[in-house]
Amino acid sequence: MFPETSRCVTAALSPFSKTAVLKELRRFFAHGGVCRLQPRRHFGVSRRLTAKVPPPRKPRERVPIPGLEMIDYGERMHYVPGLAKPVNPDWEKDFKDPRYYKSPPPDKMPLSKEKPCYVFNQRSSLLEGVPQALCLTKTKLIPGLPPQLLSAVENPANQIPDQDERVQNAIKHARFWDTTEERPDKTKYSNTLLNNLMHLCATLQSSHPAIGRRMLAEKCSLAATWKRGEDLFQIRGQNSLLHSCMDPLPVVSGKEEVAETADHVMQSLYPVSPTIDLQKIYVYKEEMNNTGFRDDYPYPHVHTLYILDGDDTNFSLRREQFRAKILMFAFGNALARAHKLYGTQPQHVLDCPITVQAVGTNGRIFQFLVFQLNTTDFSGDDGIKNQAWLDEDAELYDFAKVRPLIKKKQVKVPAGLAGYKPEIFNKFLAMYLHGAV
Amino acid sequence: MKRSSYVIRARLGVYDREGRRRQAWDEISKLKQTQSLTYFTDETSSSAQLLATWEDAEMALSCLTRALRSLTVSQNTLLSSQCELGALVSTTVAQCRGFLTTASLEQNKTLWKQREKYTIKPIGMKKTGGRDHTGRIRTHGIGGGHKQRYRWIDFQRLHYEEGKEGKPFEEKVVEVRYDPCRSADIALVAGGSRKRWIIATENMQAGDTIKTSAVIGRMAVLANEGDAHPLGALPVGTLVNNLEIQPGKGSEYIRAAGTSGVLLRKVNGTAIVQLPSKQQVQVHETCIVTVGRVSNIDHNKEIIGKAGRNRWFGVRPSSGLWQRKGGWAGRKIKPLPAMKNYVNLPSITAQ
Repeated sequence: MFPETSRCVTAALSPFSKTAVLKELRRFFAHGGVCRLQPRRHFGVSRRLTAKVPPPRKPRERVPIPGLEMIDYGERMHYVPGLAKPVNPDWEKDFKDPRYYKSPPPDKMPLSKEKPCYVFNQRSSLLEGVPQALCLTKTKLIPGLPPQLLSAVENPANQIPDQDERVQNAIKHARFWDTTEERPDKTKYSNTLLNNLMHLCATLQSSHPAIGRRMLAEKCSLAATWKRGEDLFQIRGQNSLLHSCMDPLPVVSGKEEVAETADHVMQSLYPVSPTIDLQKIYVYKEEMNNTGFRDDYPYPHVHTLYILDGDDTNFSLRREQFRAKILMFAFGNALARAHKLYGTQPQHVLDCPITVQAVGTNGRIFQFLVFQLNTTDFSGDDGIKNQAWLDEDAELYDFAKVRPLIKKKQVKVPAGLAGYKPEIFNKFLAMYLHGAV
Repeated sequence: MKRSSYVIRARLGVYDREGRRRQAWDEISKLKQTQSLTYFTDETSSSAQLLATWEDAEMALSCLTRALRSLTVSQNTLLSSQCELGALVSTTVAQCRGFLTTASLEQNKTLWKQREKYTIKPIGMKKTGGRDHTGRIRTHGIGGGHKQRYRWIDFQRLHYEEGKEGKPFEEKVVEVRYDPCRSADIALVAGGSRKRWIIATENMQAGDTIKTSAVIGRMAVLANEGDAHPLGALPVGTLVNNLEIQPGKGSEYIRAAGTSGVLLRKVNGTAIVQLPSKQQVQVHETCIVTVGRVSNIDHNKEIIGKAGRNRWFGVRPSSGLWQRKGGWAGRKIKPLPAMKNYVNLPSITAQ
């Protein structure tokens, strides 16, 4: 009520001619000012004062009758009962006004295609999880990390001095000390823990100078396109934390093992189609391959992809779906790199397979993945497959409690860090040192 | 309030002519006495500044008082600046509810129902309290209860995926869960590249594969529980649920928890099904049914426990008035109603 009145007053008073103002005011106050708002007095207030406005009527259908001319009141410039309402064409502006821009319908857009494209982005939650991701990327899954990767850390020279103590301090810092609140939330401590662990690993740079030839990039975009069977797929999205390197990672499996993957039989998802839960779009660019960096970027080779679970509160993925996301993004980075190196034509076997590592964490549970892209020919289920080594659900520690968990007056879990597992950090370190040892 | 009145004072002091100054002062002080200046908000203060830039301050004041008068809610006052505004306003404002903002009107809308594209996402509902679109009570005894979200059930079980019409298809049960909007449980099934909610049958579990087919062969099929077939394809005596009464319309009968119907006989292109109420219906043999019994079979044994639990479900108490038992009480022996015939009704699938 207030804004309306004040608006009227200001509108009335803004012009400088007095007579116009008086007219305006008279019109406004002619009916006592508030008549429109309240047409009659209401003695009771316990029920609705007005009925609901019925929905607007549909305009009557116009039926053009051939041979008859419709007479409208357009020429008379006013409404005449019995004559038809004139039909005026919509006014099209002859100038460009971005405020009133109306986008064309999707099928009229310049990029619209006949064939759909299925898009995976960082928020996609695949129903079938890792098997579906394997099916999309034509990958053979090998549980556990490659042994030669893990054996490198067994050498004490490759370990950090006072490793266990420093790692536990890093966990305590992330879980207890890094806040003025009672306890930090998950998005905060998972991020802090990851940074702490990476910082710990980076202290080995004095003995392993190759670590210095790396660079971190946050939230760089990624786009990769491939054709699986008849369908076109794309990965579009953001890498959360990308560790890239000047030198490529060494291949994990040799030529013989790569050739053996041809015997692997792909698992079928029937009755579910692999395209379930992917976004189906018709407006897209066909040749979309982008690593997120220019060609002259000095660190072109992706070393490790660190993905945090739950750092974006707008969506949440279950653990299986999160693993699928890690796999898809590791694959996407490798594929974008392969397309840059070998062209977008499908290669049956890549001369030099591309290896990409990925680590996913939610602040306690780690998922380790090593992905090796052997082929970019995704047309059928036969032939050479890609390889993925996946270590699922590795718990770095069991509990980090600010207050003890007490049930029936017994302390079930004491406060503080409990159940630290050093071998999980060794895996983390092994992935970090891969290529630098 | 204070600030705006000061502004007026200052402006008037600058712009007034000599003789009128005193007069304007008087007007303002009267206004202040009658508390009518309490109506100045920040928005009106700007207009008041504009006002004050006028040459004629008296004119401005009369405009101002008129504007203030329009701010009052009642209509009958013959307001001048001398009138006792404050007392009047305080009474009328407290009583009146006539002014509705657009936000409150929005709340009556049932936009959550109006969707074109199917979604498996739970849709937030607005409670009606038993009221219809005009705001009158349509159904008594509804109101309150826990917040519920609507999960869109695809009752048309034979709903082909786009581009795969005409072929029998299989689907995988992803999840079986409780649904607040109905007594039976619901199941999320995935097949092809789509997911949908259906009503779960008795023994349906996550991981099962269920089949849907429109084929009526020469032989009756050996159907598993949860499969959907036309009535004509099933052997006589099968327990069925989710019965369509018009081919292609979607199931309308036998959807409550634990219920099932029996396929009694097949006559001449039609099928006769006994409903849970023992009434028999005759429907076309291409009507799709699900084989088996609806889930949550112990629903009728559930103990509500207390009156308040019914309120959680959104049911309001009925009248506690004692009423003499009449003819409605006691056992009645009635013949079964005649068989209902749905065969000659026009079909929806004539596309």
